[in-house]
Formats: sequence, C-alpha cells, structure tokens
Amino acid sequence: MVLNSVLQRHPDDGWTLAVPMKVGTRMGRVLLGLADAILPPSPRAETTLEDVTRHALVCLQYMPRSSAMIFLFGMRLLNWSPLWRLQGLRPLTALPTDAARRHLVAITRSRWLPVRLLMYGPLGLFMSWYFDQDYVHRELGYAPVPFVAERIELRRKWIEGQEPGTNEAIHHLPIGPP
Amino acid sequence: MTILAHRDYQNPEQHEAEVVVIGTGAGGAVVGAELAESGREVLFLEEGGYHPTSSFNPYLTESIPRLFRDAGGTIIMGRPPIPYAEGRCVGGGTVVNGGMAWRPPEEVLTQWERMTGQPDLGVKAMEPLFDRVEGRIHAKPQHPSSIGEDSRLLEEGSRRLGWRYERNPRAQDRCVGSNQCVTGCPTGAKQSTLVSYLPHALSSGARCLTEVRAHRLWIEGGRCVGVIGKGINPQTRREDIDVRVRAKAVVIACGAVQTPFLLLGHRLGRPSRQLGKNFLCHPNTKVVGIYPHDLYAWQGVSQGGQIREFRDDGILMAENAVPPGTAAAQIPFLADEALELMKHYNAMAMTGVLVEDSHAGTVTRSFGAPMAKYSITNYDHERFLRGVRYLATLHFEMGADKVILPFSNFHVARRVDDLAQIERTQRSRSTIELFTVHMMGTCRMGSRPRDSVVDLSGELWDLPGCYVADASLFPTAVGVNPQVTIMALATRVAQRLHLPN
Repeated sequence: MVLNSVLQRHPDDGWTLAVPMKVGTRMGRVLLGLADAILPPSPRAETTLEDVTRHALVCLQYMPRSSAMIFLFGMRLLNWSPLWRLQGLRPLTALPTDAARRHLVAITRSRWLPVRLLMYGPLGLFMSWYFDQDYVHRELGYAPVPFVAERIELRRKWIEGQEPGTNEAIHHLPIGPP
Repeated sequence: MTILAHRDYQNPEQHEAEVVVIGTGAGGAVVGAELAESGREVLFLEEGGYHPTSSFNPYLTESIPRLFRDAGGTIIMGRPPIPYAEGRCVGGGTVVNGGMAWRPPEEVLTQWERMTGQPDLGVKAMEPLFDRVEGRIHAKPQHPSSIGEDSRLLEEGSRRLGWRYERNPRAQDRCVGSNQCVTGCPTGAKQSTLVSYLPHALSSGARCLTEVRAHRLWIEGGRCVGVIGKGINPQTRREDIDVRVRAKAVVIACGAVQTPFLLLGHRLGRPSRQLGKNFLCHPNTKVVGIYPHDLYAWQGVSQGGQIREFRDDGILMAENAVPPGTAAAQIPFLADEALELMKHYNAMAMTGVLVEDSHAGTVTRSFGAPMAKYSITNYDHERFLRGVRYLATLHFEMGADKVILPFSNFHVARRVDDLAQIERTQRSRSTIELFTVHMMGTCRMGSRPRDSVVDLSGELWDLPGCYVADASLFPTAVGVNPQVTIMALATRVAQRLHLPN
C-alpha cells in the first residue's frame, strides 16, 4: 500500500527548493513594486511582498537562463510602461501604488497582444503564490487540508474492505431536473 | 530499489546498462518497466526529482517547482501564445495530469493505419496493447462517492440540453475524489507511473538516476550507444556533474517538446525532415460559471466526465476544478478586483473546451532551449467560439449568475443574451486565452523514411539503437487525452526493441 501524504508544507522528502536567483537591488525594487500593485492590499502578512518576490526568484531558477532573462527584461519594460505608453516620465516604482496599478490594468486589457503578454509572467507567479497562502484560503473559505485528510482516511478504510457508502458522497446541492 | 539523486553522485558519474530510458512519464516508465520485467538491465534518467506520494500536499507553491518543468513557466509562441504545463519529476506528466484513460477513437487509428500503409497502428493490432495498459493502470470510471458537484452539474446540464455526456475512464484504484490530481495525488489512488509502472520496474532491478539532464546522445560508428548528461544541483540549479551512461539501446521519452529538442542537436531526422514538425497540442480554453450558491468544486474528482456531443467536430468539454492559485493566475483582474471575484471561488464551476488540432506547429532549438511555435487556424478559432458559447449556455441553463469568458476584450457575460456578442467581438485570434497540456507529434512514426522520423518499432530511421517512446510518435492528434495511447505505443516499442549481441 502506498504511504499517504502528511499534507504539510515543506514535506520532508529530502529535496530542497532552489535558492532564489540573484538580481540587483534595482530589479528587486521593481519586483516588489509590481507585486504591490498586482496583489490585493488585504489580507496580507507583514512579509507578503518579500515572500512573493522571493518565490518568483526561486521559480526563475527552474527556467532556462534565456527564459529567466526574458522575464526580467519584461519586468523592466513593465516598470517603464508609463513612458512607452506616453502616460508619464516616471517608472512604476516612482508612482503611488494605485497609479501603478491603473497602468498595469490598462496593460492587462490592452488590445495589443505583445503588450498583454508582458503581464502573463507576473500575474502567473504573483497571483498563484498569493492565492496559495493560508490567510487567503481562509478569506475564500477554501480548506483543502482537512478535506484531503478525510478522503485519505476514507480510502484507507476502503483498502481494508469498507467500500464508501452514500453518506460519504460529496453532495452539497439537490441538483436535478428543474 | 535504486533511485539516486545529485547528492549521491561523484564527478564524473558513469554507468552501464542494456537499455537507458530518458524520462519516467507515460512513455519512459512503461517501456522501462516492460523491459525490466522481461529481464533487461534498465537504467532511467530523469531530469526532475523523486517525490513520493507521502510528500504531496495541496499547496501549489510547493508543488509547482518540484513537479513541473520550468516551474510552470513554459509557453508555445504563436497567435495566440499558449502557456503549457508538463511534468518534470519521477513519474513525469502522469503525476500532475488528470489521469484520463480514453482510447483514441477508431477513426484515428484507422487513419494511422492508412497513413502508414501497415496494420501495426490499426484498431485490431492496437487492441491488445490498450487492454494491457488499461489493466495495469486500473482504467475505469469513478466510484459514485468521488463525484463532485461540478461534475454533477455538467452532467445534468448536458441532459437538459440533450447532449451526450460520458463518465471518464480514469487511471485510478479506489479514487476518493481528493481533487489534487495536478499537485500529485496525496492518496496514491491515481495510477501515475510513480505508483504503477515504476515500482515494478525498480523491483525488477531497474535503476533510476534523478536530477540528471540528458544533453547529448553518445554515438559511435553511426549507432547510438549511450547518453551524455549533467547532474543538476537542486539548490543552485547548476549543472555541475558529468554523467555518462553507456547502453546497447537508448529510449528517448521526454515528451513532444524535449524529445525533438534533444534529437535536433544531432541533426537527425534528415531523410524526411519531419523531426520537430507536426507539433500538435489540443489547445483548450476555460469558461467559469459563477453560481448563486456554493458548489465546492474543489471537492470531488477532477473531471468526472466529458461532454462528447460535439466530438465529431473535434470539440470536447469538461469540468476541471483547479486550486485558487491557478484560477487567480488565469483571470484578467488585479488586486481588489481579483480578490472580489475569487471570493466566489466556492461558487465557481470551472469548465474547459478542448479543440482537436486542424494543423500543426514546430519545435526548434533557440538559444539553448526548445522553441515551440503553433498558431490556431480560423477553423479552430470558430470551433473555440462555438465551444465557449455552448458551455456558457449550459452554465446559464443551470442557473449561473454570470460566466467568465476567455477573451481579453470580453470577460463577463451576465445573461445568455450577452453570448450573441461573442461572434461580433471575437474577430481576431489574438484575443482568446488558451492553455494546453497535451503536446504531441514532432517525431512522427511511420513505415517509410521519406515521411516519418521513426519506424513502426520506434527506432530512428537514421540512428540505429535510438528509440522514441512518447507522445511525439503520434502521426496525428488523437482528439482525446493522450496518456493511454502513449502507454500503448511505449508497450509496442518495448516489445519490438532489438538489442545487438
């Protein structure tokens, strides 16, 4: 029988995540600024912005170097988007968060595909990290750990010969003919 | 059981085996297990790490760098660009897929038989292979207790609209619907190769070198005699250990992007110039219904069934609940707007439209990395629009408050009448947001060197001793989830693999 999961972060399987990719202070500031503009202002932990930036730099380590460099170049382009969108002379890092966010929303909804493409990376990395945090899960009413633990127990009983009955079914709604 | 990792290696690391298999997913694990069980000395090379069932958890940020290539940051360039995901761990894509176990439709196999002019890929010849694979991965429909509310909703919606809905056969043994297929099954029920084929291979004496990237084939006298790679330090990600494996035969099973990438480094596939061509990917798109009541779609099996009413037009539709991190990354909203929408996560029914390819793209080498190029055709685009409209109609029929659409210039439909705007607003192929996990083609199998890359036993026409055993063998798209077809062809490769004395 296969061992069941312990469902904890940082499972002890002897494998470690990569150290974050090294970037300069300026690029660090750009990533922090983008994360601040993209993520919901609340709920956040004290270290949310540092943690999400660190996660992005860890993920870059798993990509081919050329892909990571293109990503970082894209972040620079985004930072200077007010300039090339003819909306101002200052980069996003020099703007208030709300103003920076307005620029990014406009880029996300741009009619030009290459412009929208700039947001694929940061949206994917930052949003997937943020919405994976326990304090955000609580806000959404998403609690996979107790549910999965319950299903693991159900399977254990099944393997021992106790097939799930109707009261183990996952039903919340009386879906049926109108 | 021998599974080695970077910490176990010395520089240089040298091994010998009768057969070296690169990759441990649906193709590699099957060919390696079949050979090991028949007494061959097999060595697997795997670029990712070994993560047992006991290490899987529902957290994306843990799982993505561990289990997915490039931490999920892979993209096919074209119009529109298509992000794709593939596994990079022991078990490969089977660890992170939904475990669907559909055989290809008969007309696909008949077409393959006609294209090759040989019966080998026809329905009759393939049947015993499918039977064998399905037995080993326990392919069968789900137990009723594991079916979630989103699957029931789709089934009922299909019934109301008069559409054909079929429960998915899935690679599972007593699946209880934990809905964690994409982050590694924490119950061990999904029969990925990690828990099905590989344990048999390893207990039959096979060895597995993990955290090794294959860089070159070792060629002597015109024959492939091994693989040259590098061990990857898991912390620094530097490739700092030379790894050489000498073998009588090499089987490449790295998937339809990485396999041609490796082979193109040797200027192979010359007779037909088909290597890297014929890239197919079953692009798909999402449609999210938001209901006035909670569905808890994250409880219950991922994809209990499929709407197959439009299968003859190459359109499949299914539900596919993903964790909130994945869902949020795919919606075009930021900050508070994103959070407000995501607060309805429990009320979301996440569904998708898959369209069978009507043409093919390419995979080439570019700046030391593979470059996949693929654009949808106007015909594909028209089918996507139809599929999106069908699914959105179903959601409204079932009482959805609103439907999130996959168009950059038209995000939300609030009533069924809004769907009439789809045709008017979606004239360009660039505004649809696509995704894929089914990469195929690129080393097409055939019976003639002039139009294929490998022969019907999977051996390269222009490199004896080198075999391919993954989705890159497909002569055309299969139109269904490709796992079982990959496994069946890999079984065939194992049966026909010939070792020199």
